[in-house]
Amino acid sequence: MRQVVRPLLPVWLGLLALFAVELGTAFLPLGHAFAGLILLPAAAMVGLVGFGFMRLGRYGAIARCFALAAVFWLLVLLGLGSMDPFTRTEYPVRVTTYP
Amino acid sequence: MSEAHVHFQYDSAAHQEATALDGMWLFLATEVLFFGALFLTWLVSRHFHPQGFAEAARHTELLIGSINTAVLVTSSFVFSCGLGFIERGDARSMIRACFVTALLGLAFITLKGVEWTKDFSDHLVPGPGFAIAGADSGGAQIFFCFYFVATVLHAVHMLVGLGLIAWLVQRARRGAFSAASHAPVEVVGLYWSFVDVVWLVLYPLIYLVGRPG
Repeated sequence: MRQVVRPLLPVWLGLLALFAVELGTAFLPLGHAFAGLILLPAAAMVGLVGFGFMRLGRYGAIARCFALAAVFWLLVLLGLGSMDPFTRTEYPVRVTTYP
Repeated sequence: MSEAHVHFQYDSAAHQEATALDGMWLFLATEVLFFGALFLTWLVSRHFHPQGFAEAARHTELLIGSINTAVLVTSSFVFSCGLGFIERGDARSMIRACFVTALLGLAFITLKGVEWTKDFSDHLVPGPGFAIAGADSGGAQIFFCFYFVATVLHAVHMLVGLGLIAWLVQRARRGAFSAASHAPVEVVGLYWSFVDVVWLVLYPLIYLVGRPG
């Protein structure tokens, strides 16, 4: 029992600690521009689950390639998908009045 | 007793199990992109409606969402222990771990049900009679569209996971798994932890970003 639980316990406690940090960060007056900082503890938690519980480091090259491809294509999806809306300049429509 | 049947296309049981695990990682990669489209929707919609999203986030049930996060993280921990047990040939402890994981999963779904009921009674369903009025109403309604679609999709994945855990318990009781052969336990563990990962991303997007105000 101990041999099984002991290596996983720090992962679980680390996740709970990061969760507490995440929750605390949400109540800091960061302002709209820094609201994304709340996602940093979440990213660390995802990494911890990936390597701690899903044991990504133990798998072979094929599984790692699939995991890396998932991250790569997710970044492509988010990057290309948000590029146009984030950089678009919106001009007000000119209202023409006729006599 | 617990040796897996090796299908004709594999050299050995080890080859078959390694292929199953690689296949699961490939499936999870497709799931990342499935949920990725949802995250992109949040990103773009929040860009155009920051105030509406912030106002809507303040109407979500932070306590329930936070309890659910701790519950789900703990369930992943317990299932990982179960995998460790079967790797040492202890099927009985693995079955116990599966039961605890399933109970935590059911607790998550139940709390989600309580939250949805409260959302409905608080008129937070987009459409006529939506609770948030004024200039931020449109953005807030888009937020709650995202909220319902994302949480329902996640809950469906949870239900699939619970079904898989029940299947594992049934097979483990028949002595299907051993220290040498337990790939299905590992495959279900990967799926369950992935569902956990999806929630770890959804939680801040729904409950935290925009809450300080």
